[in-house]
Amino acid sequence: MMHSLESRLSTGLLLSLLIAFALLAVLVSVNIRYVTDDYVASRLQHDTGTLLAALSFDNEGRLLLDAQRIDQVYNQPFSGHYFVISSGTQTHYSRSLWDQRIAHIVVAGGQQTRAIQSGPQQQSLLVLSSGYTLQGYPVSISLAEDLNPIRQDIDQFIYVFIFIAGGILLVLIVLQVLILRSSLRPLQQVKHQLAQLEQGKIKRLDSDVPAEIEPVINELNQLLTVMGQRLQRSRDSLSDLAHAIKKPLTVMRQTIRRIDTAESDRDILVEQVDEIVRLSDRILKRARLAGHSHSDKRFSFDTDLAALIETLAMMYPDRNIQIEKRIDHDVSCPVEREDMLELLGNLLDNACKWAQHKVRISVSSEQQLHISVEDDGPGTAPEKMQALSYRGRRLDETVEGHGFGLAIASDTVDEYQGQISFDKSTELGGLKVDIVLPLKQK
Amino acid sequence: MRLLLAEDDKYLAAGLKKDLQAAGYAVDIADNGVDAEYLGNEPIYDIAVLDLGLPQRNGIDVLKNWRKAGNHLPVIVLTARDAWHERVDGFRAGADDYLGKPFHIEELLARLSALLHRSSQKPAGELKVGDFALDEQQQSVTTADGGHHQLTGIEFRLLRYFLLNSGHVLSKSQLTDHVYDLDSEKDSNVIEVYVRRLRQLLGKERIETRRGQGYIFRDSV
Repeated sequence: MMHSLESRLSTGLLLSLLIAFALLAVLVSVNIRYVTDDYVASRLQHDTGTLLAALSFDNEGRLLLDAQRIDQVYNQPFSGHYFVISSGTQTHYSRSLWDQRIAHIVVAGGQQTRAIQSGPQQQSLLVLSSGYTLQGYPVSISLAEDLNPIRQDIDQFIYVFIFIAGGILLVLIVLQVLILRSSLRPLQQVKHQLAQLEQGKIKRLDSDVPAEIEPVINELNQLLTVMGQRLQRSRDSLSDLAHAIKKPLTVMRQTIRRIDTAESDRDILVEQVDEIVRLSDRILKRARLAGHSHSDKRFSFDTDLAALIETLAMMYPDRNIQIEKRIDHDVSCPVEREDMLELLGNLLDNACKWAQHKVRISVSSEQQLHISVEDDGPGTAPEKMQALSYRGRRLDETVEGHGFGLAIASDTVDEYQGQISFDKSTELGGLKVDIVLPLKQK
Repeated sequence: MRLLLAEDDKYLAAGLKKDLQAAGYAVDIADNGVDAEYLGNEPIYDIAVLDLGLPQRNGIDVLKNWRKAGNHLPVIVLTARDAWHERVDGFRAGADDYLGKPFHIEELLARLSALLHRSSQKPAGELKVGDFALDEQQQSVTTADGGHHQLTGIEFRLLRYFLLNSGHVLSKSQLTDHVYDLDSEKDSNVIEVYVRRLRQLLGKERIETRRGQGYIFRDSV
């Protein structure tokens, strides 16, 4: 399962920010309505007091309203301020109601109710109904005020609030992304370094990293050192072993020539010594392969191949063979330096041995690394091509012509899970060896 | 031709010395890297066979030190550790040729001869001058009249040295240095005797005497 720390962190943070801001917006808008309703209600309460003071009953029990003491706003039609006063069967409506009526609730003395109802001209009215006892008569006063103007103000305030909050939210999100990026940068750097390590461009990971990942990096570096040392040690031992085996064999072969015996016996002895040399060489070379075990040295098609070609030119000084390189730009090599030198060394050496004038090495990489080595020599008969591929897998085959170097090349290619195939070179006419090596999936 | 053989295995060195002497080389053996480096800097050697696994000083270091000191002695590297990366390192250190152990003595001889020709800017194959040719395998001279003359060991060594250094003034002591090894008894007067023998074979005018200086071998007369 693929996790991206960055996307997980950023979605988590983004979600929590969004929820926090949404909650804040809801709370603010609900609360502000309550507060304004309360404010309007307290104003109505105050007006109720004024209205109550303008009320009186005459001796016959008729309810009288002193028009002088009533605010003008109750006389303008549909002003948004209305009242209804009732006492028993008598009811007074404010003039502002004109021909409309509002639901009036009769409340017992000392009681109060509050309600919201729709009024004339789509007004939204807050109605405060209060019950009193005036001069022994029960009186109910309902005062109403249109909430729409104040609600419009509130809505406008909420729009502005959401707009500003949204802006702040955006800034916060951007800030978060920036903070996340910068705190995850060391991880990106480690990823980049691992890729470089894989290509052999660096030998160790940079240990200047945040404390959280420092132990991992240190452990990795330690492991790299240990593995590098182990490979080097095993290679050195194998090299010493090769030395130890071949020295006496060399002496034996020199001495055999001087033994006073039949020519055919000497030939048999030399042949046997050669056989031991050949087999031990093959086994030791196979054992020396680093394969995918870690080594900090990667083959470079610029420097190492040039050195190899120079070496071959010196090995065949009188042959006047031209080695042509066709290397794609920026090819990276998945193979360890010594392994690749062994592989290409054997292939190019074999090609130089058989070539008349020209050897060509082509390297390209797409999904895989393609290497082909061609020469303009006599080539190999088609029926022998099969045998060449097969010889690579066996130790006890006799060497003739192309054999030994190609066998070691095959071992190397096998070690890297690649493929080797043999064909006739269409352009140069000699043998063409094709190698495909898998590149690490990034 | 005087050859420095740097090889620590005494059996191998002794066997090789015999084969090389038989092929007309004056051979000195160094059995460690320090001696090899010191000897190789003496101007008496024409070629060196250098084993890489020498005690005291690694063959690659010996080679690098020679080259650093401006010593262009032709060197054939011998090694049992013949991985390609070592081969590349060997050539980079200044080797002229490379031979993996074990080898056929014939191959070593062929490479020695080829390298000597190359470093004297002579073509590969038989050494030919004017109307005669030197067969290095047979150690014999073929003259214009088709005559085939077998040479003695010292005659062959001397003639080969003359041929590979034609046109240069060669002093008697120089000729002695390049024809005899350390163990031989040297008498520079003997050189005169051999020169006289060669003149009888090839004609007087081939080897010119420079009084007080030595001899010059003429490619053309």
